[in-house]
Amino acid sequence: MPNNYFNTLPLREQLEQLAKCRFMDISEFPDGVEALKGKKIVVIGCGAQGLAQGMNLRDSGCDVSYTLRAAAIAEKRQSWKSATENGFVVGTYEELIPTADVVLNLTPDKQHTPVVTAVMPLMKQGACLSYSHGFNIVEEGMKIREDLTVIMVAPKCPGSEVRNEYVRGFGVPTLIAVHEDNDPKGEGLALAKAYAVGTGGHKAGVLMSSFIAEVKSDLMGEQTILCGMLQTGSLLCFDKMVEEGIDAGYASKLIQFGWETVTEALKYGGVTNMLDRLSNPAKIKAFDLSEELKLIMRPLYNKHQDDIINGTFSRTMMADWANDDVNLLGWRAETAETAFEKTPAGDVEISEQEYFDNGILMVAMVKAGVELAFETMTAAGIIADSAYYESLHETPLIANTIARKKLYEMNATISDTAEYGCYLYNHACLPLLADFMKDIKTDVIGKGLDLEDTGVDNARLIEVNAALRAHPVEAIGTTLRGHMADMKKIV
Amino acid sequence: MNIRLDNLTVNFDDRFQLEEVNWQLDDSQHWVVTGANGSGKSALAAVLASAGENLSGNIDGIPAKVGLVSFEAQAELIEAELKKDDADIMDVIAEGTPVHEILNPGDSNQQLIDELVEKFQLQALVNRAFRKLSTGESRKVMLIRALASEPDLLVLDEPFDGLDAHTLEMLQAYLATLVETVPMVMVLNRFDEFPDFITHIAYVDNGRLQHRIDRNDTKAYNELYQLLHLKTTDLAVPAADPETAIPKLDPTQPLVKLNSINITYDGHRIIDSLDWTIERNQHWQLSGPNGSGKTGLLSLITGDHPQCYVNDIFVFGFQRGSGESIWQIKQFIGYVSTALQWEYKVGTGLRNVIISGFYDSIGLYTKATDRQKKIADEWLALLGMSDRADTPFNKLSYGDQRLLLIARAMVKHPPLLILDEPCLGLDDMNRQLVLALIEKICAGSETSVLYVNHHPEDQIKGIENYLALEKREPDNN
Repeated sequence: MPNNYFNTLPLREQLEQLAKCRFMDISEFPDGVEALKGKKIVVIGCGAQGLAQGMNLRDSGCDVSYTLRAAAIAEKRQSWKSATENGFVVGTYEELIPTADVVLNLTPDKQHTPVVTAVMPLMKQGACLSYSHGFNIVEEGMKIREDLTVIMVAPKCPGSEVRNEYVRGFGVPTLIAVHEDNDPKGEGLALAKAYAVGTGGHKAGVLMSSFIAEVKSDLMGEQTILCGMLQTGSLLCFDKMVEEGIDAGYASKLIQFGWETVTEALKYGGVTNMLDRLSNPAKIKAFDLSEELKLIMRPLYNKHQDDIINGTFSRTMMADWANDDVNLLGWRAETAETAFEKTPAGDVEISEQEYFDNGILMVAMVKAGVELAFETMTAAGIIADSAYYESLHETPLIANTIARKKLYEMNATISDTAEYGCYLYNHACLPLLADFMKDIKTDVIGKGLDLEDTGVDNARLIEVNAALRAHPVEAIGTTLRGHMADMKKIV
Repeated sequence: MNIRLDNLTVNFDDRFQLEEVNWQLDDSQHWVVTGANGSGKSALAAVLASAGENLSGNIDGIPAKVGLVSFEAQAELIEAELKKDDADIMDVIAEGTPVHEILNPGDSNQQLIDELVEKFQLQALVNRAFRKLSTGESRKVMLIRALASEPDLLVLDEPFDGLDAHTLEMLQAYLATLVETVPMVMVLNRFDEFPDFITHIAYVDNGRLQHRIDRNDTKAYNELYQLLHLKTTDLAVPAADPETAIPKLDPTQPLVKLNSINITYDGHRIIDSLDWTIERNQHWQLSGPNGSGKTGLLSLITGDHPQCYVNDIFVFGFQRGSGESIWQIKQFIGYVSTALQWEYKVGTGLRNVIISGFYDSIGLYTKATDRQKKIADEWLALLGMSDRADTPFNKLSYGDQRLLLIARAMVKHPPLLILDEPCLGLDDMNRQLVLALIEKICAGSETSVLYVNHHPEDQIKGIENYLALEKREPDNN
């Protein structure tokens, strides 16, 4: 196995790459898709992301076709059907790769090494290879032929959203990067920008980042706050409510839709707004709980970040790949058997405000997770903008998948890499919070505070409000949400 | 009193015909009859005073004494007075009938007449000749005469027209005191003039009684308000925005040219080798049963169908698949369909929904210019929705959403407006609203309309080209 690319770099360069992230202004895209005009784009793989990006690019005037493994074509698998029914030319690697000016590798991380190894020799001299995730380059140390340009264009949403937003005339926030070791003609950035325009990303906001910053922050976010914390929180909160005699259907619904509801407030106004939705006593309670949670979980967040930075995480996961995914599949089965997953949401009405009032602990968990992930990432040298996107910004997107079909849907939607990391986190976090959960009662999860009067101490409230607003994730969040609001839907 | 009109068709001197009217009024009800000019609302009211010639159907329960005030009745009376003058062969200056005689043809309540004369401040005119009165004055006389006749039914056609504010207020208050005594039918054009005691509203269009509405039905009441507004407003379709004008098309080329088009799903061919050309300034109606591929065909034109890249399609100067983007195509098209309405599930305000038509987007992602805002506001005024510019789109009724999406489609004055079953899912009132708006658009712009529908009653005036698709059975492959 080749070397972990990141680990081969000197510290100075590691830090420089980690710190790369800049929000681009829409005025930086005056050339539209021009850099891709007349070029032949061949997409490898036709899953949700591959199909969505290909359709968007074609509708933007680009020449797009799909290449699949010979077996997928011969057996007319779903990927072949998706591509042909949508009027695309489909061919084998041998047929299409040699004709391609730009090859988009939109296969799952796990397949990157065999896929790239197979297509690289077939690629035209001086062509461009594009990724949607930098794992293969950064963690697996894949070496790409020197004449090839290597870029990354990563829409920060599932494939269905990528397509739907484009059709609406908008797009999804997109991260772009150029692999500086592979930019022989210096055209990487122009191609990445044109690609982002072709998928509609420039309308929603483009982040100029690096392969390294993308991988290290993406991995950290997805396995801790985004998926891990929501999974662990779901299981703990459900079991606690049932244990305390709350109707299982109610508990199931409160959690399944609660994450989405409380993080919606997060999306609009950050952690501050999410806590502002609580009554004053509940806000102080949530604040205190989250402080406690942060204290207990900080070593776990540090461990995840350390393992990601030094390559331990990817090495462990790749070992599982080599071992037929025994761990991944085992954990997936185990999740399906949890009480939360097996209890359908009850047929009860829960108002929007009730999700906050009766879910104080969930609010505290989101706050603790977002702040810890952000603090840990920035402490590791990842710039605040990246850390914001990979923590706070994406939490509502993931919460939305739980609302659709619980943890199953979340884990099916995210990448295998995210899923693997999520289970790792969950296994470590469940026992870590066991003692903490012993003191939890239904006042913070299930029933809400039972107060005769909702008065609070002024000094304490001022202290809590000040602490909330002073957190660095709030400062960068306010700035970035401001940028986004200029472009985003005027609602 | 229970008046009943069953399938009544009435002819008015071959000038006008009321058709197949079904209507029931009982004496606890007070009706307003409304409709656009020439709709037949006055004729319908006059039928209650036995006007016109019944051609078919029945009318029952017309009471013996009907008090009628209308411009027609007023004109007849004046005409009659003038004739008396002409008929006078004596060499004296004819004064004509004095007002007091007109007021009391014989058996009216004189005390009531005196009271009303005072209320209408006509004391100084009672001895003057009726035909010498001004229109407003003679109208007041007509009103007093009708009221004082102590009728079993009072039919008042535009009674408030031409009255000064003071008299209007007095009359409204007076009528309100009669609510328990006599059922009333009033012809009124303006909703803000409907007295509070009105219990029902009848809407007449094109010689037919189209709607009978209970005033407590707020939804129907509001829709009727809008329909009347669209039918009667002087507002025209707002102009396009010169700053975001659509590029000029080559006038010698057709808008759309489809050559031997195929659409295939799961191996089943829905559309087989179809040729279709839409020239400039042609209006088309596309019809066909469900599953015959109407929407698929349209989406080949709009670029929403992925198979547009495997067909020979020429649209708005572009051969599809030659490097054009769908936004270059969509700028020439306004599009409305039920599917669009389903997708348009956004909380965007109404003004911004209309402005989004300039950008062909669902939701608005660009800051609108002042001019665009002004144009959007003109559309809202046309639709009678000016007071709702910032209401979220998803809070509108289904029918209002449809109207708004039509405005969104037209706001840029596209060369081609595609209306894919624009009346689908709408009740009768909303259907008429939508059709009224579409006719207004067809009349006031150079846009070619492509109208998809299979309901013959939803025809639009001015469409002269038809394409009918047939459903292909699976074995037709």
